[in-house]
Amino acid sequence: MENFLLFFSSIRWQDIVDIILNSYILFRLYVLFRGTHVFRVLIGIALLWFSQRVAVALGLILTSWAIQGITAAAALIIIVVFRNEIRSVLQAKNLKAILWGVPHRTSKTQVEIIVETAFELAAKKIGAIMVFPGLDDLDELIQGGIRWDGIVSREMIKSIFWHDNPVHDGAVIVEGTRIKKVGAVLPLSRRDDLPSRYGTRHRAAVGLAEMTDAMVLVVSEETGTVALAKGSEIRTVRTRDALAEALEEHAGSMKGQWGYKKKEKRELAIAALASLVLITAVWFSFTRGQESLVAFDIPVEYVNRNPATEIVDTSVNTVHVGLSGSGTLIKSIRPDQVKVRLDLSKAVVGRNAYVITSEDISLPPGVVLRKVRPSAVEVAIDVPGEKTLPIQVDWVGKLRKDLILTNAKVLPAKTKIKGGKSILKSLSTIYTEKVRLDQIEKSGSLKVNLALDPATLKIAPGSKESFTVDYFVQKRSSLSPQEQKVTARQ
Amino acid sequence: MKRKCPPLLLVIFWLVIGIPAVVASQETTSPPAEDRAKGLTLVEADVCEQMEGTTPVNPAVVFSSNLDKIYCFSSFDPVPGEMDIYHEWYRKDKLRAKIKLTLKPPRWSTFSSMRIRKSDAGPWRVDITDGAGQVLKTLRFSVTE
Repeated sequence: MENFLLFFSSIRWQDIVDIILNSYILFRLYVLFRGTHVFRVLIGIALLWFSQRVAVALGLILTSWAIQGITAAAALIIIVVFRNEIRSVLQAKNLKAILWGVPHRTSKTQVEIIVETAFELAAKKIGAIMVFPGLDDLDELIQGGIRWDGIVSREMIKSIFWHDNPVHDGAVIVEGTRIKKVGAVLPLSRRDDLPSRYGTRHRAAVGLAEMTDAMVLVVSEETGTVALAKGSEIRTVRTRDALAEALEEHAGSMKGQWGYKKKEKRELAIAALASLVLITAVWFSFTRGQESLVAFDIPVEYVNRNPATEIVDTSVNTVHVGLSGSGTLIKSIRPDQVKVRLDLSKAVVGRNAYVITSEDISLPPGVVLRKVRPSAVEVAIDVPGEKTLPIQVDWVGKLRKDLILTNAKVLPAKTKIKGGKSILKSLSTIYTEKVRLDQIEKSGSLKVNLALDPATLKIAPGSKESFTVDYFVQKRSSLSPQEQKVTARQ
Repeated sequence: MKRKCPPLLLVIFWLVIGIPAVVASQETTSPPAEDRAKGLTLVEADVCEQMEGTTPVNPAVVFSSNLDKIYCFSSFDPVPGEMDIYHEWYRKDKLRAKIKLTLKPPRWSTFSSMRIRKSDAGPWRVDITDGAGQVLKTLRFSVTE
């Protein structure tokens, strides 16, 4: 009991807002996309993700990788394939509809008229095909057709599908109480498991139904039967009541209005509760999972430096940061999400010592700082300046014993160096990189670069980057010192 | 009526005022170092492996640390008066030794030496300066393995 209370006391108000906000987002996604293909595919992706987690937990390496790849590709595909549906949800509706409203499927059709007419056409073996769109956009799938926009009536439907009517072979699109289009050409299904008695009309009905959430009614010219295609199914409807029920269900208006609303309310309540439970579970797994530790080496960023000064030296460039949090959070954390920033606004010229506090470290939410090593950083600040310095060759290695390196001239002999004034003040010579003596046998020249130490020193713009060293070698001999002196000067 | 100064007071007056004045006059009679160095000309300077009398042997810019000592030779002509000069030995800008040498007119050659070890490998220089600290010449060389 004590643990229980302790657990609840550790929950902040931000955590409750976090859960409620995300639950509502999930609920709204359900409300906006329910009944569409997008929603079904989203559920498919969620299942794929769940399968991938199971595969990871079971240690199925290849399976988890394969599912991960498919899930990633599916997320991309869904955006491309269902762009119209997504657009219609996010753009066509106003903000209130997105945030608050509950969209209903197409309004009630003239169910009774359609049912009666369909069976009348069937009795006379007059072929017909009628499309009742759902929430999916059909414009890209339906070709041709003539805009009609007439009120649904028995006579009109019969006249449209009358043998001598030029548009009798096409489909009619029924939206609400109106026939929007006639003579429309539907995409044919490519399935080869359809019964042979189904002709082109049935194949077209299945074709559109399997690609969208529309319902398609087909009256067979051959057999005089009425069939309904929805999703990937096509079934023969034998009674008027069955057809009426199916059409009403598709239109989202069951016979008893009160019952339907109640059912819808129950469905939404369950969806809201499920969203809340799901998000709460995800939230707990993210933030209250098993405590894990991780450590990163994070580069220290120095901010708010006086632009007239420059950093010439720091005791460390990175600090070792130890973090803790739930396993899921710690697993997902990347080093670039952790920042160590030291404020140099109060730094003075010279060496400045800073103790790194938690205020200097920014962490992702839910992650706790455990340790920083080293806990203090020393930063040397200096005012930039320039100084002309003579260049000296840094000879290393061994010169042959019988040789003497009598002279060496660097051209140009001096160069301008840029760096912190206090460092430059202590310098009176700048040295070349190490030049080996081992290969030298006679006088010659070579190209050298400077070894700038400390590394904050730079060659001033406009000065040469490399230098020529002319060196003079002489053989040791038994000459007297006076004679040697004369030779060396030559 | 005039009062006579007691002789003791005169002695004290002379001690307080007179002695510093005499000292000051002595200081002014001796020319400053830069004035004394006027006319001093360095005619030759070398870092070498050995000295034979007043002659440098094997002047060079690279010396093996196997040598026990290296020498800095300098020769002045003319030397206007007796004065001190310095050989300042630096290893990588760090002063290792500042050796005072006295010159005598009319000309003078002198040298200083530096004992070197393996750990002394690296770039060196010797600044030859006059009494006022003015650098007359810088000799650069390296001590190697």
